[in-house]
Amino acid sequence: MKLLRLPRQALADWLAALGRDAEVFGPKATAEGPALASLAPGETPDEAPGPPKAPLKTFFFPQPETLAVFSTRRDDPEAHVLRPPRLEAGRRVVLAGVRPCDARSVVLNALPFAGDPYFQARCGATVLIGAACAETCGTCFCRWTGGDPLGTEGLDLLLHPADGGDLLVEVLTAKGEGAAPEAGRPAAAADAEGLAARREASRRAAGRAPDPRPPLAAVDLLALHGAPFWGRVAEPCLNCGACTFLCPTCYCFDIQDETLRGRGRRIRYWDSCMFPLFTRHASGHNPRGAKFQRVRNRFLHKFRYFPDRYGPFSCVGCGRCIRECPVGIDVREVLREMLAFAGRGA
Amino acid sequence: MEAVMTGTAPGQWEPRIVAFLCNWCSYAGADLAGVSRLAYPPSLRIVRVPCSGRVSAEMILDALKAGADGVLVSGCHPGDCHYLQGNLVARRRLSLLKRLLEFVGVEPGRVRLAWISASEGEQFAALAREVTEGVRALGPARRLAKTLPEVRHA
Amino acid sequence: MPDLAGQIRAAARELLAAGEVAAVLGFAPGPLPMTTRPFAARTPAEADRLTWNGFCVMNPANLLPEILAAVEPPRGPKDPPPEGPLPKVAVVATGCWSRNIVVQIQEGRVRRERLVILGIPSRGMIDRRKVLRRVGGREIRRVEEGAHELRVEGPGLHETIPRWEVVRDNCRTCVHPTPVVYDRLLAEPVERTGVDRYAQVAEIEAMTPEDRWAWFRREIAPCLRCYACRNVCPLCYCPTCFVDDSRPQWVGKSLDPADTALFHLLRAYHCAGRCTDCGACESACPMGIRLRLLTKKLEKDVLELFGTEAGLDPGAPLPLAAFRPDDPDEFLTAGPGGGAGPEGPPPREEEPA
Repeated sequence: MKLLRLPRQALADWLAALGRDAEVFGPKATAEGPALASLAPGETPDEAPGPPKAPLKTFFFPQPETLAVFSTRRDDPEAHVLRPPRLEAGRRVVLAGVRPCDARSVVLNALPFAGDPYFQARCGATVLIGAACAETCGTCFCRWTGGDPLGTEGLDLLLHPADGGDLLVEVLTAKGEGAAPEAGRPAAAADAEGLAARREASRRAAGRAPDPRPPLAAVDLLALHGAPFWGRVAEPCLNCGACTFLCPTCYCFDIQDETLRGRGRRIRYWDSCMFPLFTRHASGHNPRGAKFQRVRNRFLHKFRYFPDRYGPFSCVGCGRCIRECPVGIDVREVLREMLAFAGRGA
Repeated sequence: MEAVMTGTAPGQWEPRIVAFLCNWCSYAGADLAGVSRLAYPPSLRIVRVPCSGRVSAEMILDALKAGADGVLVSGCHPGDCHYLQGNLVARRRLSLLKRLLEFVGVEPGRVRLAWISASEGEQFAALAREVTEGVRALGPARRLAKTLPEVRHA
Repeated sequence: MPDLAGQIRAAARELLAAGEVAAVLGFAPGPLPMTTRPFAARTPAEADRLTWNGFCVMNPANLLPEILAAVEPPRGPKDPPPEGPLPKVAVVATGCWSRNIVVQIQEGRVRRERLVILGIPSRGMIDRRKVLRRVGGREIRRVEEGAHELRVEGPGLHETIPRWEVVRDNCRTCVHPTPVVYDRLLAEPVERTGVDRYAQVAEIEAMTPEDRWAWFRREIAPCLRCYACRNVCPLCYCPTCFVDDSRPQWVGKSLDPADTALFHLLRAYHCAGRCTDCGACESACPMGIRLRLLTKKLEKDVLELFGTEAGLDPGAPLPLAAFRPDDPDEFLTAGPGGGAGPEGPPPREEEPA
């Protein structure tokens, strides 16, 4: 692993150079806080703490993804023949100012999408440049879910603030190596030691945060499923999709064909387990017909079904769902309820 | 809705207007115009509905989404509704919808409502001419029409 | 300023202890500053969790039918309703919420005799986005609400903001702050006159069609189609929403500008003549879309064309389920005019259908 020292004023030039054969995106300051936007040459990512409003999945799991195109013209001998879109025609993207929690969401989503050519093609065409979190927000809880404010998972490069107003650039992957700044000089040994010390301090701080993963993995699933608190948790819920659509790790989708004036496309678009239609059978029966069942599914999927299958939680602790829930449902509170139940019932 | 939108020769643009005509008056009025061999522009795509009160906002917006350049809803004159009050309820609903569409920038004249009785063949032909010329003056409708993005395939 | 939270708690404790109601629907504190959570207290002890502040922006009438059903004695889907009166639910209601309850009574969704309405003349609720914009999007960790100001604190942030400046647009233009129906009124009635309630709408109406279209496209561009606006609205209770219809599919499921426009137009239109401008849709929208501008335009037109306002009289017919033989025929005239302009006949008396 390589560590470079980059003068802060060289950041804009570096991103502009990367922007010559890729589109550069990053958090931009707005009146309501940072928001993901296209960065023009000369612009640098906003450094306000916390993740921007939009989740990173919009780049890897776009709304919608065209899976195939076809013709519906009667005079076309190849009508209704599905043709895959040209994946290599996908644009090259540089994502700058990515918070470690968001970068981790790409790694987590890659688990269910391991064999998905669309997701993988977009990952391959994207360089992720992280921004280590010097401060965290009141809604940040990445350490609870296995993340770290200085974490490197999913990133190609990670920037840290350094003394003298410089930046330290951690080069983490071969792709990162290819995109590393030319103006960056190898960092001194003291820089590497300082960074290691910061990491260690962060890890020690993690020891103080609750780690709900082991107790939740151990609790009896059926008992947790039947726990008495789900009705209470769900009562204020509106069953809207604000939490799932803003969540960087919610990846549920539906597929549909759209046809219009002789052309058609098969699209994959975001769906939400909060919507009754999500599980309604063709017969009309809905195995998750009640609101509390849908709310329960959202949390059990994130904290039990997903870990049972893939290992980690399907949550990176970014806090977006807490901030934007119209009725103030807090995932940390639900986790505490689940933990309390695990301690009592298991 | 897309099905009723077909049938325009490529090249020159001709207005395509979806006309929702009530079964009891306006559809019969249109039929009379045809039987009487009255000339009117071929721009209307007629959808027969039981009553103008059956026409929902969804149907009108769906027509615009499918690419209609105009929408005409026509029913019996007030007082003549086969279901007594369907057209009177439609009048309230469509006044509001028309104003809402214009509020968001849909050009006035794209969505029209008119009363045509079964005996008004002349009036129907005149209405068709007037609506067509009004829409022709506005040009093709783009604002609520859906288009699929061009995607290159392998 | 009266201690409304204390009054709500006291009334709730009393009603629950006396067994007069099975639940009291109000608000509990939310997890963050400037958030609240709808909460139904079912015991006198739970009543202590009820709160009241300027951030109670969700319309509790939304959850009312659900809470009413939840407090009924359990029975199978085919069992007849039990003999005798069903348990009551108390609900806090400001002006717009009470009018919304009236609409729900008109539509047969709730029954007045099962409600105990705790009326609260409203001082206006706060738009947390306005507060955020005031502090440049910086993180807010603590907010203290005074009678006329908000004290906002966060990392490196200490500001005092005049309250009225961050009150929601619907509250700033409200002319019915006092509940129209209630069983108890928890504060002195508030009168508000001389408000130009359609100024925002008139500003858009004055633009050219091109500019109005540009405004509309810009306004709805951030929409995620999460349907928070629909789900938070007490009037959106269709068992199958038009959004979920598949044959025909009125609205495509993904992010297409035409589909998003259709969704917003139809959502607003379905509330025409029923919307009481409670602003819940706008407050719930995670993207800050000013959804009320469409419903407010419809409210203005319903008043102009049919002379009625939603939720003022439980006995009146709903304006779109009624008609008058001499309703305006404005769309029969060709060409521009009539539509977005301020003209139109003066308001007249409503006749029963």
